[in-house]
Amino acid sequence: MAKTYDYLFKLLLIGDSGVGKTCVLFRFSEDAFNTSFISTIGIDFKIRTIEMDGKKIKLQIWDTAGQERFRTITTAYYRGAMGIMLVYDITNEKSFENIKNWIRNIEENASADVEKMLLGNKCELNEKRQVSKERGEQLAVEYGIKFMETSAKGSINVEEAFYTLARDIKAKTEKKLEASNPPKGGHQLKPAEPQRKPTNWLSRCSLL
Amino acid sequence: MTAPAGISPEIEAVLENGLNKTALTCLHCPSRILNPSVGTFVQQEFALPAMTKQKNQIIDEKHELREFWKVKDMFQFENVGFSNTVDGVKYLTCADCEMGPIGWHDLVTKENFIAVSRVRNS
Repeated sequence: MAKTYDYLFKLLLIGDSGVGKTCVLFRFSEDAFNTSFISTIGIDFKIRTIEMDGKKIKLQIWDTAGQERFRTITTAYYRGAMGIMLVYDITNEKSFENIKNWIRNIEENASADVEKMLLGNKCELNEKRQVSKERGEQLAVEYGIKFMETSAKGSINVEEAFYTLARDIKAKTEKKLEASNPPKGGHQLKPAEPQRKPTNWLSRCSLL
Repeated sequence: MTAPAGISPEIEAVLENGLNKTALTCLHCPSRILNPSVGTFVQQEFALPAMTKQKNQIIDEKHELREFWKVKDMFQFENVGFSNTVDGVKYLTCADCEMGPIGWHDLVTKENFIAVSRVRNS
């Protein structure tokens, strides 16, 4: 059976309970179909296929399934993870403060080169905001990771966030591949990566 | 290759060499679940919980289904959700709107089965 994809990335969603991780679990559609059966048992993970620079990428995205209630996540959950979305709720100061604890948990349990990204979710609730966008940006700078404000409810930036994380993992993977198989006879020139969406995603959410 | 015996003309219309002729999408939203020629048509009985529940109904109703698209490897899906495990089974849902169960995942064989009647051929 021929492999139908170029890359497979395992991604995790981490953060306090109630920050909307389950909604961020790649729900591009606002129009959720409510079946009591599925919402009762819950979603374990999703498989998503995206295209980037002509490459087909499969994303396997895992939710913590309530493990985060115990304020710690086991090493088993982190195994094989290549990317982590750290999610807080912009209307909940505590969930933002806890990001530091989650980063420590990741450093203790996940692979050292795991790609991380910070998401301030629920940005549709601007009137209840407790964490400014600047503080989110600043924390991301502190850890040298990317940052976006998202609204899983309004389908704002969710898709973009996953594309961004996937792009960074892809670049890292390709760099590693190149390092282990250096091209013979000179340096290979690569065309510049086309920007998927030239809009300013950082400002988009605050327009709401 | 001829189609298995006893299949309806509706099924025959969406078959090509025993595989799904067209892409499979969600019944509720435009999410693409499977690309053409990836799922193998199989006939086997499986009771899948109903997608909608009647008011005041406590026990989930199950529907005996017989026609499925078998997908050998979960990474052959374009977009799909896997539920938590219940009685040794993981149920499959639409990855976007989470409509489901649209099928099930066998934890032993790792094979996946999409109910023909719970997806759209498009």
